[in-house]
Amino acid sequence: MNNQLKVLRAMRNWSQAELADRLDVSRQAVNAIETGKYDPSLPLAFKLARLFAMPIEEIFDDGHEGHDDGE
Amino acid sequence: MMAMKDMTMVNEPQKRRAPNMIWPVAIGIGTAMLAGGFAGYNDAAAERGDAVLAPWIGPVVAVLIGGLALAYYVRRHADAFRSWSPRKRLYWISLILSGALGFVAAMVMQAGSDGTDGLFSNAALTPPVAIALSAMWVVGLTIALILYHRTVDDHERQAYHLGGLAGFYAFVFPCPVWWVLWRADLAPPVDAMPLFGLSLAANAVIYFWYKFR
Repeated sequence: MNNQLKVLRAMRNWSQAELADRLDVSRQAVNAIETGKYDPSLPLAFKLARLFAMPIEEIFDDGHEGHDDGE
Repeated sequence: MMAMKDMTMVNEPQKRRAPNMIWPVAIGIGTAMLAGGFAGYNDAAAERGDAVLAPWIGPVVAVLIGGLALAYYVRRHADAFRSWSPRKRLYWISLILSGALGFVAAMVMQAGSDGTDGLFSNAALTPPVAIALSAMWVVGLTIALILYHRTVDDHERQAYHLGGLAGFYAFVFPCPVWWVLWRADLAPPVDAMPLFGLSLAANAVIYFWYKFR
């Protein structure tokens, strides 16, 4: 899953370690999310959304356009 | 705006130089190597027919030196450690406790076995040593694992689960194969310890791969 984490972090001039401290996770976790090797759990995704004050779907992109309406 | 600021300040870390975690690992390895050096010295002395040191001297000296080095490291980075979140602090306590348990168990087995066949041999242990080791392993590991599972983060939990799965497969595939081969007299009797070692190795490889790739 693509995400804007690296850009959002760079905009705030935070290192991976600083972001990890803010999220209370390991630096490896931040690195793995940024490089797309790991998709965070829903609670961690919400934590990220709160930290950056953005909706989750603006941080993460699952490659699907628009909303699924069940059709 | 205020609300946004509040949200971003939830877990505001203080700017401190993070301690390099390679040092405690290096101290642990160095301590084990020092204890191994004493064991090697004793083996060589025994082969020459010279007097050997009491088997507990090596581990005790190694633990003392390793403990001093670790205390110096913790003191040097005391401010940084104090700024850690409770989760992070407990997480590292659980890891250090697990490592210490493994180290103490290895040293006690080395010092408490009859003969000098080495750590991974099936050399006889005295009953008090065996009972103490068993109790320490079960109680200590239970405490360390409870702490670990309560404090591990998302990403590491996934690595741990996948490592655990690999360890499981490294047991369930070779074990029955070995057993049926033994029943046909094509292999020696099944021994749990190589399977245990294989399972741990598979677990470690996959865990470290997912954690640090």
